[in-house]
Amino acid sequence: MAFALLAEALLAAAASLAIGAEAKKNVLIIYSYGRLLPANVEGENSLRKTILEKNPQARLFDEFLDVPRFGGPRYSATISKYLREKYAAQPPDVLVAGGEDALRFLLQSRADLFPGAPVVHMVVSRYFLTSQPPLPGDVVGVPIEWDFVRTAELALRWHRGARRLVIVTGASERDRLLEVELRALAPRLRERAAIEFLAGLPAADLLRRLRELGPDAVVFTAGYFQDGDSHYLAPRDSVEAMAAAASAPLYGPYNTFIGTGAVGGYMTTFEAIARQAGQIVNALLAGRDPASLDLPAAMPTTLHLDWRQVRRWRIDERAIPGDAIVHFREPTVLEQHRDLVIAAVAVFLLQAALIGGLLFERRGRLLAEQAVQKQRFELAQASRLALAGELTGSIAHEINQPLGAILSNADAADLILEAGGDRRPELRAILADIRRDDLRASEVIRRLRALFSRREVERLPFEVGQAVREAEATLRAEARRRDVTLDFRPADTAATMAGDRIQLQQVVTILVMNAMDAVAGLPDDRRTIAVSVEGDTKGTRIAVTDRGQGIAPDHLPKLFISYFSTKKTGMGLGLSIARTLVEAHGGRIWAENGPGAGAIFHVDLPPYDGALGLTAGQA
Amino acid sequence: MSAAPLIHLLDDDDSLRTALSRLLSAAGFEVRSYSSPGDFLLQPLPDRPGCILLDVRMPGPSGLELQEALRKQDILLPIVFLTGHADVPSSVKAMKAGAVDFLTKPVEKGTLLEAIRRALEIDARQRATRDGDARLRARFATLTPREREVFDRIVNGKLNKQIAGEMGIAERTVKAERAAVMTKLGAGSPAELGRLAERLGRISAD
Repeated sequence: MAFALLAEALLAAAASLAIGAEAKKNVLIIYSYGRLLPANVEGENSLRKTILEKNPQARLFDEFLDVPRFGGPRYSATISKYLREKYAAQPPDVLVAGGEDALRFLLQSRADLFPGAPVVHMVVSRYFLTSQPPLPGDVVGVPIEWDFVRTAELALRWHRGARRLVIVTGASERDRLLEVELRALAPRLRERAAIEFLAGLPAADLLRRLRELGPDAVVFTAGYFQDGDSHYLAPRDSVEAMAAAASAPLYGPYNTFIGTGAVGGYMTTFEAIARQAGQIVNALLAGRDPASLDLPAAMPTTLHLDWRQVRRWRIDERAIPGDAIVHFREPTVLEQHRDLVIAAVAVFLLQAALIGGLLFERRGRLLAEQAVQKQRFELAQASRLALAGELTGSIAHEINQPLGAILSNADAADLILEAGGDRRPELRAILADIRRDDLRASEVIRRLRALFSRREVERLPFEVGQAVREAEATLRAEARRRDVTLDFRPADTAATMAGDRIQLQQVVTILVMNAMDAVAGLPDDRRTIAVSVEGDTKGTRIAVTDRGQGIAPDHLPKLFISYFSTKKTGMGLGLSIARTLVEAHGGRIWAENGPGAGAIFHVDLPPYDGALGLTAGQA
Repeated sequence: MSAAPLIHLLDDDDSLRTALSRLLSAAGFEVRSYSSPGDFLLQPLPDRPGCILLDVRMPGPSGLELQEALRKQDILLPIVFLTGHADVPSSVKAMKAGAVDFLTKPVEKGTLLEAIRRALEIDARQRATRDGDARLRARFATLTPREREVFDRIVNGKLNKQIAGEMGIAERTVKAERAAVMTKLGAGSPAELGRLAERLGRISAD
């Protein structure tokens, strides 16, 4: 065990030594231009990051040739001497040439300075490379291609009124080289616009010319290091000045121009260029043979645009390709407060979903409620019809009694008048009786219509005892017809409930009619039905007690199920309807066998609590 | 017996009973009203021609039950039923039990009075038949035992000679008894004697 640990520790130490030895890799980056050139700052960051990610122990050294401010054969010699002595103790393993001037310098001085060290070039144009002798096998890199033509074409397409393409170049050697390159490319655009070069002009002249351009021109420039008056400046600064002056939109090939007032153009960012170079450096540091590297012919370009300029020059937003990188677009609320917005949207969506869900549920519940209401209404109608059918006998009897009396009285009066003589008191009595019987008949009809007419279900508070007493009149007629004694014992207290009084009356009617069926054919003393109503603040209980045969125990659970019937006639709907009506009022109905003979049906109803809404148990 | 007919009116509905009573009175009938079958049965029934106007449905025994009870007691007053709701089973039952009519309320004067008249006619015929029978029975009661024996044999188609042989009496004696029977019962011919025997129920099955 101890041995194993020791061995492990030794191995670890050996490994760290090995890494240390390998990490002593030096990378010397030589930039063409000044240290603070925006392109250099951006490129350096990216390059360092890419290399150090893979080779944390690598030592990176930066040198700046600072052209075009310095130059010439003597300057080159001085720099060479300086570099040789500076890096004698730690010679670079890989060299990086940042820009065409740096590459040219290294191609000339490398053998003298750092023999054997491969060179990775970056920010070197493909056009430049084609103008040079072929590079040695250990000088590699991905050239850039200023997509001048593509950018110019885009500009001419966007600015429909543009007839002139104005190309601005500077006075330095580097600027003139670029001018040569652009002049070589410009003829490709001849058919699209008139090409004008503003090359090597003093800044004041140039800016004046740019101010006077007018709407029929677009400007393309890579900026310049030196104007016609030999003033040095970073290309970015030159572009800033030009963009400020120009009365026409300005396009360029460098991403560093974005934000200066240039509209943009097809370009490869310095960050992307440096990253590509860094990856090549990493490959070489890993011992790869430079010649074996499979590199792209040129860095890909992307359209970069300054949103503010797009707006300023009224470029049709729809004409901007989808893959364009648009800078300075007014950050939308979403972009500005992404997390907040996402959270807010999430909350909103959640809320919407919740509301939607609730609405859906509410709709569902409404539909269900409507369905229940409808069903209840239909049941009430069915119950009404069933009851009406059952009660036909007593209805006919109740109505025909007064009608019969009226007719007979009228006939009697007729005969009396025929007989002659003054029998006015008798006739007056007859007329009084006719009137009374007529009212009696109307009353019966009114009551029956109330009980059986098709109508909407009510939701009103009413006194339970009173409602039951109203049902009593009809039931009494039926009881008389069936020769059953009806014993009504309504509540002393005025118990109230909310709902449809007629439906409650129907429930009572159903129960009493059932009870009458139960006692039919039994001896006199058993043909008795008691209806009681007892109420307090907690609710009302209605009980219908008969002295019939009672309910068979195995029938008790099935009593309130539709189409269950022990009778030869009847659909078996009565009690199921009664239950539906009772439950719709938040009540309960159940049956039991009485202490003696017969059954007791109980209906418990909740008290009126001031609410007329649908009561519990409804859904 | 030529008393004016008496109409017994049974209806539990005061109003209707009053109205019907008025109508029948105005039509010239004597009416006696009862509010229930019990009420009717409790009162002595006068031996007078008449009929019963009976509501089918009443508390306690129904009209149909009263009809049955009266038949059992041989009270043969014709019955006209009145009903608020003419259901087929009760009307059939009532008519089978001999009801004169089964009227539905409200009933028109003409219909009602026609039914009443018919009922009274039936009652009169029944009453006449019943009166004739009673007289016949009274005459029959005056026959001596031997005369009854001879009567039975005559109506059963026996000849004088056969009767004499069966009874062990002289044929001449049979002839004398036969003459006495015909005189007492008031029969003019042997055929009439046969009809009287039928009314008296004295013809044997064979």
